[in-house]
Amino acid sequence: MGRNRVAIVGAGMTKFVRRAQETGKEQAWEAASKALESCEMTLDDIDAVVIGSAPEAFDGLHMKTEYLSDGCGGWGKPVIRGFVGGGTGVFSAIQGWYHIASGLFDTVLVVAEEKMSSCQPHPQGAFITIFDHTTERPLGPNLLWIFALEMNAYMTRYGLSKRDIALVSVKNKRNAADHPAALLGDPHITVEDVLNSEVLAWPVQRLDVSPVTDGAVAIVMAAEHVARRVTSKPVWVEGVGWNLDTAYWTNRDLSYPTYVEEAARMAYKMAGITEPRKQIHIAEPYDPFDYKELHHLEGLLLFDEGKAAEATALGITQRDGDLPVCPSGGLLGVGNPIAAAALMKVAELFWQLRGEAGARQVPGQPKRGVAQAWGDLMQVSTVIVLGV
Amino acid sequence: MSLLERVIHPDQTKLWYGEIPIQSRYTVGIAGERFFREIKENGRFWGTRCPSCDLIYVPPRLYCERCFAHLEEWVEVPTTGRVHTFTVVHLDLDGNLLPEPQVLAFVQLDGTDGGLVHYLGEVDPDEVCIGMCVEAVFKDAGERRGSITDILYFRPI
Repeated sequence: MGRNRVAIVGAGMTKFVRRAQETGKEQAWEAASKALESCEMTLDDIDAVVIGSAPEAFDGLHMKTEYLSDGCGGWGKPVIRGFVGGGTGVFSAIQGWYHIASGLFDTVLVVAEEKMSSCQPHPQGAFITIFDHTTERPLGPNLLWIFALEMNAYMTRYGLSKRDIALVSVKNKRNAADHPAALLGDPHITVEDVLNSEVLAWPVQRLDVSPVTDGAVAIVMAAEHVARRVTSKPVWVEGVGWNLDTAYWTNRDLSYPTYVEEAARMAYKMAGITEPRKQIHIAEPYDPFDYKELHHLEGLLLFDEGKAAEATALGITQRDGDLPVCPSGGLLGVGNPIAAAALMKVAELFWQLRGEAGARQVPGQPKRGVAQAWGDLMQVSTVIVLGV
Repeated sequence: MSLLERVIHPDQTKLWYGEIPIQSRYTVGIAGERFFREIKENGRFWGTRCPSCDLIYVPPRLYCERCFAHLEEWVEVPTTGRVHTFTVVHLDLDGNLLPEPQVLAFVQLDGTDGGLVHYLGEVDPDEVCIGMCVEAVFKDAGERRGSITDILYFRPI
C-alpha cells in the first residue's frame, strides 16, 4: 500500500494552567501560532487543519469544533475534529498523519485544546455521565471509581505496593520542574508526600492523580518534499496504531491493557520495530494516574507484565536511565488538559528527538520514541512512533 | 421495528430521568475583557485592527483569523451601524405567543468589518428594513455589568 512519508516539522504549546483567562479559541491560537513560528510557516502554507478536543461538556458549548476552528487556523480550510476521549491528543496526530500519508494534503496543522476550568463545580459533572445511565449511574459513581478498581486489580495481580507506584508520581512531578509550561512541577516531592496525601477512593490518593488543567498544544505536519524544504531536522512518523476494547469495563481485563498492546503492535509493525525494548529509546506513555504509566509501559511491550514498577525503582525510567519515560513530566507533572496533554507528549518527542528539549533533554541522542494515549470509556489506546 | 411498535405512551416503558450536572463558567477572554470593560465603564465599542488584512474586528479579537497575526492595534468604533438582516420573533421557546413581537437584527457597525446580533427597539416591526441606520442604546452606567445585555437594543436614527 503506497503511503507518503510524513514528518512533524514544528510544535508549540501554551503554559498549562489551572484557570485560563483566555477563551478556548485564544488558547488554541497561541499554541497554533507558536507551532507555525517554530518552523517559519504561515497559515497560507497550511492545507488542512485537524482539531483535537475532548468532551464538549468541559468547555460548556456544543459544536466545539466549529467554535474552536478560527483559533486553530481553520478559516477557509478543510477542518476535521477527531474524538476518542483521553486518547484524542495522539489520535489527532494520527489523523494529521493520514491526511498527508493518503496524498490528499501536503501540510496539516494539528491543534489540541482543552479548557476544563469552565466546567463547574468540577469536571466530574461531565465524567460521571460516561457511565451507563441505567446500570451504573443510579449508584452515584465518579470517575475515580474506575481507576481505583483498576489500580487495585493491577496491584493485587502483580503484588505491587502503593510505594512502588508512588515512585512514578515522584519521577514525573520532578521531571516537570524542568518544563517551562508545567502546572505541577516539584523538584522536592517525595514518596512520603504521595503516600500521605488525601485518600480519594482507595487506593487512589490525591498525588496519584493528574490535575484539572487548561491548555493547548499544536504541531505542524508535512509531506516529505515539504518537510525537507522547511527544516533540516524533520521528525518522521514511523508508525501509528489505535485499538478499542469492549465498552463494558466489567468485561475486560483490568490488570493488563490488551488494547494498548494491539495498538502498539499495529504501530510497531508499520515502523518495522521487532524488538521494541532495543529499538525504542524514549517513551511518553499516558499517565493521568501514576499506575497508568506502568500499566501502559507493559501494554507497549517495553517491560514484562507486572515488571514496570521494578524498572522504575531501579531508575531505568529516569531521564538519564536506559529507557527515559515521561521526561516531559507527563500529565502528573505538566498537567492534564485532556486532548492537549496527549499532544504534548507527541510534541515532547519532537523536541527530544531534535535535541531541543533544554533542561529536559535526555542524554545519548535518542533516535526513536513512542507516545501513547488512552481514554474513551477507558478502553481505547492510540500510539505513535516517531524517529529521526 | 415497525411504526406500529413505537412507544406511544412513555410511561408504559421502563425509563428514568436524569441530567448532566454541569454548570459552565465562561471567561470573555483577553480581547473580550477589554471590549466589555469599555461597554460597562464608558458605553463605547472598541475593536481590533489587522493591518495586513485591513480588517477591523468587532467584537475585538486577539488574533486575525485569516493571517493569524496577534492584533494589538485597538480602535474605538462608532456605536452606529446598519441593519444587515433581521427577523421578527413571534413565539418564545415554549411555543407561547410573545406579548409583543421582538425584532432581532444583525447590525453591521459603521467603519468595521464586524457587528453584533441584537434586539431592535423603539421601532414598529413593520417599519424595519434592511439597510436601516441604527444606534446602540445602553443601560444607565450604574446598571451595566460588562455584558452584551448592557446594550438594551439598537434603535433607528
